[in-house]
Amino acid sequence: MPRRLSHNSSLLSRTSRRRFLQGSAAVLAGVGLSNCRRTVGNVDTAASETTAAAPSSGAAGDGVLHIYTWADYTDDELAAQFTEATGIDVKIDVYDSNETMLAKMQAGGGANYSLIYPSDYMVTEMIGLGMLTELDKSRLVGLDKILEKWQSPVYDPDSSHSVAFSWGTTGLLYNSEVLTTPPEDWNYLWENRDVLSRKLTMLDDVRETMGAVLSSLGYSYNATEPAQLEEAYKKLLDLKPALASFKSFGWQDELLSGDLLMSMVYSVEGIPVSLENPKFKYVIPASGSSVWTDTMVIPTSAPNVDAAYEWMNFNLQPKVSQETVERLFFATPNGEAMSMLSKELLDNKNLFPPEDLLAKCEGIAPVGDANALYDEYWTKVTSA
Amino acid sequence: MEGGLRPEGRAINLSTIYQGFKSSLRPLGLLGPAGLWLFLLMVLPTILIGELSFVPGLKPGQPILGYGLLNYLRILEPTYLQVLKRSATFATGTTLLCLLLGFPVAYWLALMAPKRWRNLLLVLFILPLWTSSLLRTYAWITLLRPSGVINLVLSTLGLPTQSLMNTPWAVYIGMTYSFLPYMVLILYASLERLDLSLLEAAADLGANPRVAFWRVTVPQTFPGIAAGGLLVFVTSLGDFVVPTLLGGPSSMTISRLIYNQFLGVARNWGFGSALSMVLILMVSAAISLLLKYGDRNPEMYS
Repeated sequence: MPRRLSHNSSLLSRTSRRRFLQGSAAVLAGVGLSNCRRTVGNVDTAASETTAAAPSSGAAGDGVLHIYTWADYTDDELAAQFTEATGIDVKIDVYDSNETMLAKMQAGGGANYSLIYPSDYMVTEMIGLGMLTELDKSRLVGLDKILEKWQSPVYDPDSSHSVAFSWGTTGLLYNSEVLTTPPEDWNYLWENRDVLSRKLTMLDDVRETMGAVLSSLGYSYNATEPAQLEEAYKKLLDLKPALASFKSFGWQDELLSGDLLMSMVYSVEGIPVSLENPKFKYVIPASGSSVWTDTMVIPTSAPNVDAAYEWMNFNLQPKVSQETVERLFFATPNGEAMSMLSKELLDNKNLFPPEDLLAKCEGIAPVGDANALYDEYWTKVTSA
Repeated sequence: MEGGLRPEGRAINLSTIYQGFKSSLRPLGLLGPAGLWLFLLMVLPTILIGELSFVPGLKPGQPILGYGLLNYLRILEPTYLQVLKRSATFATGTTLLCLLLGFPVAYWLALMAPKRWRNLLLVLFILPLWTSSLLRTYAWITLLRPSGVINLVLSTLGLPTQSLMNTPWAVYIGMTYSFLPYMVLILYASLERLDLSLLEAAADLGANPRVAFWRVTVPQTFPGIAAGGLLVFVTSLGDFVVPTLLGGPSSMTISRLIYNQFLGVARNWGFGSALSMVLILMVSAAISLLLKYGDRNPEMYS
């Protein structure tokens, strides 16, 4: 799930463009490299495990820690604090989608990363591909402060490969001065097609946008039934007159200037806008949206594993977690950090939604072969 | 071959072959570095993509199990043909618009503008190319969106506002803007060496300016028109940025589709490779048309 990259829209898309270029380069390189082995994109785990083992014999926590993450999950301040506490330099690269990250890692372009931040479903997928190191829990301090829910999450049942870092939801951010009846559920979009006429954006993300439509039909966000997907596709086509575009980034300027009335957004991007300008409100649709968790993991190809553990421990500290939440506005799975948050943030129903609403939200789960079907309907929707 | 029948002739032949080999060493050596790069960075990747395109539904991490044409057959489904058609329409429209706008400008630059200003004017025209195409596309968002600069001007003048953002028109505008300098540059080179005495001769023989233009100027500059058109067509066919940012919800083009196959949810590298091969073939077809009918002295442009 892409996160807020920056407040400046042109800069942020520049970043994603650059990511894209690097990604494509990685893909090409991967095609070339992996072809020699007759297996496409299979990370050379044997070779990397030896490199992973080598640095751990040296002094704990020296060298440079390379992190591959969503932009703004780790700001300069966090990196500086970490360097001050441990003496390890941090180099951060960012990606804008789980799939981009996976492609780069599979193509072997991520061999110098010791730590990455995949989302829930991607953790499952990467464990399945044998790309993640099983964590040595004796080296992690403060795991017990993680709330029970994330001690045994669906995506990684005994948390053997991942440490939950943040979570959030997907919802609708809208201009409450123009849309005076507050939207409550996804069906609002279809009922108000005329008002929204080309002033609505939805996420440029198949699983999220199709998931929202599936949810409005009363189906699961992770439906795999072809008939249900077909129905969702038809319903999404119905909404097209209301749609300005499918956009994950760059909707901010247009929403603020009134060119858009509503955008489907990730909470981590929507909530800061609603806090800065009360005219804009964030709402989680009543029939449920997606709830995501981003995690910290160590890839099997990781060099400098010690530094990666240091980084995990550093972020597990409640104080650090609390401060990061207050800067970047994501919900934390760290119970002790939550208790340290200001009442204002804790009471924010968007940041920490009530349990009954959360129960209706689903995490995006791998759908296996249905992915091809999702992609096909997406192509149909965007080329109709 | 006749010479080869006589013994003395064979000897001469061998020595000429040796001589020929010796004299071809130098050009070969000079071509070597460029050829090596071309092979490593273009030929080899294309062959690899070509191979992957014959593996049906190949996903990263999967071994190659067998080859087949399924990826290519899938492109023939209406959904994907529609995408190809849209890309081709965008590219053709952009090429025509660039020609329509670029020819008068190039004509003026090459034949009518004061000579000492020419180079400066040309540089000014190419200047936008120095900034990132992404930034220029973002600038068009600022201009085209409902509360943007264009509508502000229109409403101040009391004219009806336009809703161009997120429509195919926005794509045409953005791409034409992006690629117009290429067209002007090539047409300029072609028009600059137009033999003006031919126009005078045409006038002497009673042709009015319009007839002279269509029967002398246009045929004389046709190679330039073809080369410029091709360059614009090829680049706009594969453009990713403009349709993505300006095109709205119905702007799936072949380059976006390829991106989705590699980095999207389907991760179908086989199908993505097949689409890439089709794009490469479309571009090659355009280039071979140029080689056949276009400028026979392309070195004149450099």
